[in-house]
Amino acid sequence: MFEITFADLRYRYRQFLIAVIGAGLVLAMALLLSGLAGGFTAEIDRTVGGVGAQWWVLPDNAHSSITGSEVFPQSDAAVIARSPGVTRAAPLVIVLQQVARIGSQTSNVEVFGVQIGNLGDPAVTAGRPLSGAGQVVTDTGVGAALGTTITVGAMSLRVVGEVTDRSMLGGFPVVYMSLHDAQALAFGGRPLITEVVTRGTPATLPPGLAASGNQAIEQSVLTNLSGAISSINNSKIMMWVVAAMIVAALLYVSALQRVRDFAVLKALGSSSLALFVGLALQAVIVALAAAVFAMIISNFMFGLFKQPVAIPASAFATLPAIAVVVGLIASLVALRRATGADPAAAFG
Amino acid sequence: MPVSLSIKSLTVEFTSGGYKIRPLNGFSCDGDDGQLMVLLGPSGCGKTTLLSCLAGLLTPTSGSIHFNDEEITGLRGRALATYRRHTVGVVFQAFNLIPSLSARSNVMVPLRLAGASRKAARERATTLLAQVGLSERANYRPGQLSGGQQQRAAIARALVHDPPLVLADEPTAHLDYVQVEGVLRLLRDLARPGRMVVVATHDERITQLADKVVELTPHLPAEQREPREVTLGEGQFVFRQGDPSDLVYVVQSGEVEILREMGDGAEEHVTVIGPGGYFGELGPMLNLPRSASARALSATVLTGCSVQEFRSQRPGHLGQAAAQS
Repeated sequence: MFEITFADLRYRYRQFLIAVIGAGLVLAMALLLSGLAGGFTAEIDRTVGGVGAQWWVLPDNAHSSITGSEVFPQSDAAVIARSPGVTRAAPLVIVLQQVARIGSQTSNVEVFGVQIGNLGDPAVTAGRPLSGAGQVVTDTGVGAALGTTITVGAMSLRVVGEVTDRSMLGGFPVVYMSLHDAQALAFGGRPLITEVVTRGTPATLPPGLAASGNQAIEQSVLTNLSGAISSINNSKIMMWVVAAMIVAALLYVSALQRVRDFAVLKALGSSSLALFVGLALQAVIVALAAAVFAMIISNFMFGLFKQPVAIPASAFATLPAIAVVVGLIASLVALRRATGADPAAAFG
Repeated sequence: MPVSLSIKSLTVEFTSGGYKIRPLNGFSCDGDDGQLMVLLGPSGCGKTTLLSCLAGLLTPTSGSIHFNDEEITGLRGRALATYRRHTVGVVFQAFNLIPSLSARSNVMVPLRLAGASRKAARERATTLLAQVGLSERANYRPGQLSGGQQQRAAIARALVHDPPLVLADEPTAHLDYVQVEGVLRLLRDLARPGRMVVVATHDERITQLADKVVELTPHLPAEQREPREVTLGEGQFVFRQGDPSDLVYVVQSGEVEILREMGDGAEEHVTVIGPGGYFGELGPMLNLPRSASARALSATVLTGCSVQEFRSQRPGHLGQAAAQS
């Protein structure tokens, strides 16, 4: 029976090719949506990890969130630095959703005010690191060339260096500047900070502060995106359903075209089960081919999204399994056509 | 081993379009070893239904078929599957080759379904295709073969298990006269001791080759018969749907209801014929079974006459043939 299955695939290859491309495009979109959801995690992982800290000290009422507006005196950073267990500590100012003007363009950026040379000061991929006031190191997503001047709030700052893949909250690029410039931007120059980051675990903390690990910090940021991530995951499931429907439509049409063949095969001694297995195998082959096509073309479709897209390896690994399930579900629509074929109809 | 076929009182009844249809009604016939038997009749007379029963693909409503003393109508499950695979080979009307397979692969299909190895099936198919003169076209798909070549491939497929009973449904229906000759010669040669070939056709030319011709719709005697009076009580049937047609009826007194019997046992009223009216003329004219039933609604007297007699009594009426047959 498998010979007939494969021969039919070759015979109707145009039909199957259209289904492979159609279902493949839909599965590629599903992969990209996985990548989009994964991108939210990957970007915050890179940005938080890029600070180089093990612990983040924030006000108690911030509940580990670096996207809030709670502040505390910069002097606490020195207290925390002296805490037993801490080998290194640095104050940070994180100011969200600032409008940056680059030439005639504007874009929203996340500002990280860092102590130059300390934790949080980024390692640049082009240009040079921060060395004083009036300078910024920008993520390439900002789109500002080295040596140009950008305006953040009322401050004009020169781009001295670039970093890559540093963004938050769904693709908003990070701009690094000196702590003093960030304090001038956000607090009118008052010595306030939003976090202290440390290496080594602080044994004691000033009253009203609490330490959180990198994972808790990342999770708090992702909580802000949970609605978007949920919507994306639901859309991804819809894509699988649409892929299944495309394969099912192909199978159904194919089964309708083959009703006489089924009757003849039954008249020649084939069982209903064997006919169904042949159809299911066709559906699985088409779905798997669509999955392979999706894996290939998804690499060329990243440009469809401005947000960071990081397709997890697990998505690639599970796609073939999903394709098999999609194929088997799709083949059920043709089940009745195959099993219900009346061998006497071969005479008709 | 000599083969024999015996069909006794075979009736097949099924529902089509909601109506109860009886394409075979108490059909009986016998066949002998080595015979080429031709089942002759127009479309709808039950030829294909009979072949389906002989092939073990359709269970009759009543009656029996014995082939080599084995009652086919009593076979079920594995025994029936074995009968279909090994005892009977079928050549379908529209060839019914699998379009995606080559001629050779089509011939291999029944063998592979029966569990033969690919190599053995291939060798057998190659041999059979050579026998039907199709060696050079063995690797072509049906769409690349002429009608005659497709029919020969279908015959080769029917012979893979060397069956003692070969059935062919309208084997010349889609062929031109050149191809017809080749296919008929092949079928004629297949009928030999140890095998019987049954061909269903409406093509009377084939009867010249037959050892036995069975007409499924016998011609009514052409001679004029005397009209006869029929008296019926209320509720009595003049004839039932599916009955053979013989006479045209003229109502002398009383009323007759024409009705159709549905598959679910219900009745569909068609019309009522009163005194002076007539019914049942198309059936005997066209050699078709009754397409409806006729039932007396009260004490009724009818005159039943042949088509010829009716024509002579009411010239021009049958040309308008609008009433029920």
